[in-house]
Amino acid sequence: MPSITRPLKQSDYNNFPPNAPIVIDNGAFNFRIGWAGESDPRVTFRNVVQRPRHKASGETVTIVGDHDPALMKYFDCTRSSQRSPFESNVVYQFELMEYILDFGFERIGADGSQAEQVDHPILITECACNPIQSRSKMAELLFETYGVPSVAFGIDSAFSYKYNQQLGLCYSDGLAICSGYTTCHVIPFINGEPVIEATSRTNIGGYHVTDYLKNLLSLKYPYHISSITWEKVEGLKMEHCYIAPDYSSELEKFQKESKEAEEKTRCWQLPWIPPPQEEVPSGEEIARRAAIKERQGQRLREMAAAKRVSRITELENELQGLEFLLQQLDSVSEHEVASFLAETGYVSKEEIESAVLRITQSLRKARGEQLDLDEKIEPPSAEKYPLLNIPDNMLTPEQVKEKRKQAFLKTASEGRQRAKQKRFEEELQRERQNQLDEEKRLENPELYLEQLRAKHKELTEKVEQRKRLKTNGSRNNGNQNSSGGVGRGERLNAAQKERMRLLTTAAFDRGKGEDTFGTKDEDWQLYKLMSKDNDDEDDGPNEDEAELARITSRLQDIDPTFVPKSDNGSFQTIPELPRSRPLTAEDFQILLGVERFRCPEILFQPNMIGIDQAGLDEMAGISIRRLPVKGDGVEERITNSILLMGGSSLFPGMDARLEAEIRKIRPFLSPIRVVRASDPILDAWRGASAFAATAEFFNQTFSRQDYYEKGEDWLRRHQIRYSV
Amino acid sequence: MDADILLPPVLSFKRVQMSEKYPKGHARGRHWKHLKQILQAENYQTYPANEPNYINIESPPSMYPSKKFCDITGFEAPYMDPRTSLRYAHAEVFKRVRSLPNEYVQRYLSLRNAAIVLK
Repeated sequence: MPSITRPLKQSDYNNFPPNAPIVIDNGAFNFRIGWAGESDPRVTFRNVVQRPRHKASGETVTIVGDHDPALMKYFDCTRSSQRSPFESNVVYQFELMEYILDFGFERIGADGSQAEQVDHPILITECACNPIQSRSKMAELLFETYGVPSVAFGIDSAFSYKYNQQLGLCYSDGLAICSGYTTCHVIPFINGEPVIEATSRTNIGGYHVTDYLKNLLSLKYPYHISSITWEKVEGLKMEHCYIAPDYSSELEKFQKESKEAEEKTRCWQLPWIPPPQEEVPSGEEIARRAAIKERQGQRLREMAAAKRVSRITELENELQGLEFLLQQLDSVSEHEVASFLAETGYVSKEEIESAVLRITQSLRKARGEQLDLDEKIEPPSAEKYPLLNIPDNMLTPEQVKEKRKQAFLKTASEGRQRAKQKRFEEELQRERQNQLDEEKRLENPELYLEQLRAKHKELTEKVEQRKRLKTNGSRNNGNQNSSGGVGRGERLNAAQKERMRLLTTAAFDRGKGEDTFGTKDEDWQLYKLMSKDNDDEDDGPNEDEAELARITSRLQDIDPTFVPKSDNGSFQTIPELPRSRPLTAEDFQILLGVERFRCPEILFQPNMIGIDQAGLDEMAGISIRRLPVKGDGVEERITNSILLMGGSSLFPGMDARLEAEIRKIRPFLSPIRVVRASDPILDAWRGASAFAATAEFFNQTFSRQDYYEKGEDWLRRHQIRYSV
Repeated sequence: MDADILLPPVLSFKRVQMSEKYPKGHARGRHWKHLKQILQAENYQTYPANEPNYINIESPPSMYPSKKFCDITGFEAPYMDPRTSLRYAHAEVFKRVRSLPNEYVQRYLSLRNAAIVLK
């Protein structure tokens, strides 16, 4: 992309007499305007309009053409992008066209000091067979808004061909192959005039090449999508793309990774700064850090010990106080107990005893003694539950009651013991498995890691699949982030769906149009069903999930590159570079290998991007077939003078490839000569400028009078004669 | 510099200024037609068939059988993955094809206008 230079305003507008024609090449890519007879257009700019809002004043302003993106900070472009008045190669938005013409005339220096209009005849280019609506709107715009005296329309490729004919590059019979920004045209010439009925057009051009390249690169390098801008890709296309002399053999070279292919690969290095190297700390430094850590640990330990000591003394004091209280209580007579205790805050002797017990336990804990010692040495059940073995008929009713109590206590404690046993066994099992794993790992760490990863992946998929099914029973197409097109019904999970079904049946099934819900008691059973559905949902992590958790934690332990996937990461749009290893400059390179010739190849095989039309080479054959006059060597004369033009003909290798391809479709030993136009881009304007400078031009223009009097049908037939 | 890139709202050489044509604050409907609509309104079928027009100068589909190229590498593709319907050149690419998320598959397909379009 050449640096953006805004067109300069011309100052010599008033030096031109009113009959000096203004020539406009209105291309889909560039707009060129200048004076007839001159060798170059005065003003050239991209044929685009942008209407952002000026941030300071809040007004909508108009910017025509390319501009420095740095200036965009003054504008609010949220609702306006660059827009073109063209759809394909036809002007369809005349409001935008007016802005562009405004800018073109303003830059060429037009002013209303002499007359409040552009007082010059206009020659403007259009595509071959421009729809009459577009042509008539253009004429209307030029006559009504700018007040031009007369207008002529011509085809850009024809002007280019005529210009090169004057230069001697091609002859009066020939073929113009114009590969433009949005379309390709092939126009045959006979006796120096274009044969429009034999023209063929394929809707593919430089725009498609850039678009294809951009899409391919952003799919290949999703991490660098922000660097792959339209402007940059257009620059890459212009700099690196070429047409392969033979597409298949060129592909083969790259597929075999031959040396030639390697040499042909281009590399675009994105800006990249290597991360600062972490310096290895010296031994002294490590020792110093360890000492600091040790000191801190020591201090914490000391603090903890001091706290414990103070707590123990506190508890001991409390215990002593309580024991003293008990002693005193013994000495107090039975009647005075209540009044005595009222002072202490305790209600009964039992309460004091239980408090003593509690404090003793806390004290033991604080001293670090085993708490559950007393649990271990349980008396055998026969001792503990003496009544159980005695038949009921030998017991008093009170004892029977006691027996029941004991039986209950016994089963409860047995259950506890069983659960404990089970826990213990599970622990053992896990331990054993971990040990087994560890052995395997030591045996072959690589293989083990690989297996573990594979298993992790498999389990993750399994668990996710289950989750998906749970949240959405009907959608099992294997991707979770296919947004769009999801109806309301699909978003409900199975439980919600069931609830909906129950509610609707409740509402509609019974009572013909009459709401009788609630008259019968069993109606309310419905809600029980609903809540049961909900309970089903969270049945706790199942086996797979537990196993997945185990493997994940294991991977985290032994695999430094392992990154556990977060649950909510499924909606990512911009993928990140892999973080498993330090990034290098290679990660910031964009390689152009096959893409260099794959993208422009679409001009020859539009099928590659799904456009079902003939490519450039076939179009030449089609145009020759469409010629109304045949024989007399006209076909040979035509293929002997093939002129290449348009921006997309600038790809290196274009002429050689076209010659080879056209040779394939022409009879043996046919004369074939393909030349590139002297300047494939500017020649159209130059040809038009030369045409407008002749006296003959004024016979070919039409005035506003003509336009109004003769009507659309006449305008449809308006076609200039290019030979002068 | 700031002003130089802007188009002046009033130009002395115009008979009708932009602001007169499209007054501010007046909501205008869409006042232009798409190319498709323009072509429909042209009524080409009422004119003689041998007269060239925008539609009949278009190139017909190619006579050559279309070659199949690998969607990812661009090489000639002898195979097609039935699940994603992406074309691929060799087993190495097939691995990649199968690891592609659906979004990328659709983007690759849309490059050759073969993506599933939901309407």
